Amino acid sequence: MNIPIPKAQVVFYPGSNCDRDALWALKYVGFDAEFIDIYQDINADLLVLPGGFSYGDYLRVGAVAAREPIAYKIKDFVNSGGLVIGICNGFQILVEMGLLSGALLQNSCGHFICKIVELEVVDNTTPFTMYFQKGEIIKLPIAHGFGRFVKVNSTLPVLKYTEDVNGSEDLIAGITNRAKNILGLMPHPERAVEKLLGSNDGLRVFLSVFNYIKTKKLSFVQEKEGAKV
Amino acid sequence: MPIYRFMIDIQYKSHVRDPRGETIKRVLNEEYNIPVKNLRLGKSVHLEIDAETKEEALKQVEKACEKLLVNTVTETFEVKEI
Repeated sequence: MNIPIPKAQVVFYPGSNCDRDALWALKYVGFDAEFIDIYQDINADLLVLPGGFSYGDYLRVGAVAAREPIAYKIKDFVNSGGLVIGICNGFQILVEMGLLSGALLQNSCGHFICKIVELEVVDNTTPFTMYFQKGEIIKLPIAHGFGRFVKVNSTLPVLKYTEDVNGSEDLIAGITNRAKNILGLMPHPERAVEKLLGSNDGLRVFLSVFNYIKTKKLSFVQEKEGAKV
Repeated sequence: MPIYRFMIDIQYKSHVRDPRGETIKRVLNEEYNIPVKNLRLGKSVHLEIDAETKEEALKQVEKACEKLLVNTVTETFEVKEI
């Protein structure tokens, strides 16, 4: 049986700077991964919006990137069930696009924070967190100046800090949408894929989504072959 | 077509913390002994716009605010003609 390899694309915006780490992590778990720029079309099972400072974060973080022509393609991709991970600046872009609810503002301490933090997995039913236990404490690095999450009623948390690091409401570090095909998070799973880097808990985010896609593809192929018989 | 000039004053909603404002207030209080009670740092956008009428211009400015300039989850805005 020939199951196609899950395909991932990393969108790089002018000012993205975690794009290569994301690509490396995707390839590391087995994705057929490539970069696309803001003018190219989406052709993937998983789309990753990486961290960085898109358009210098002018006006508000992620505000300009969220209004590029590719934003419409991303919205169509999400509506057709495509999977999206937005990391750090990517999360801010998804929030500005309105695909995830809430807002991200400057850390309450007023400065950039760069360290490894402990997080609690509060929802392990998303395609991105299936390899975690509910309530499990994991370690991931954060590196942001604007990570204070302001929630709205419809916010669905996936990851929470175990203590207050940036003033986020309800200690929220990562969220999903109602269809659970988007994960937006401030911590960097792509920077935690090897023990040498201080933690390899981020690896399971990519493994979860890789196997979720693979299982879906397998059942699709089986169905097709079953139909032939 | 006449040109209209506007200033858009964008401020954080009252329940949203403003660390920049707090830091500036602390410096004014502690370094210069200026008894500032509360300080909020917002943004102001000045723009010129071509339109047939002032009403039409205002409509365009409101659209600019809703579409890009203001995040209504955390900010409020006020438009003034200048």
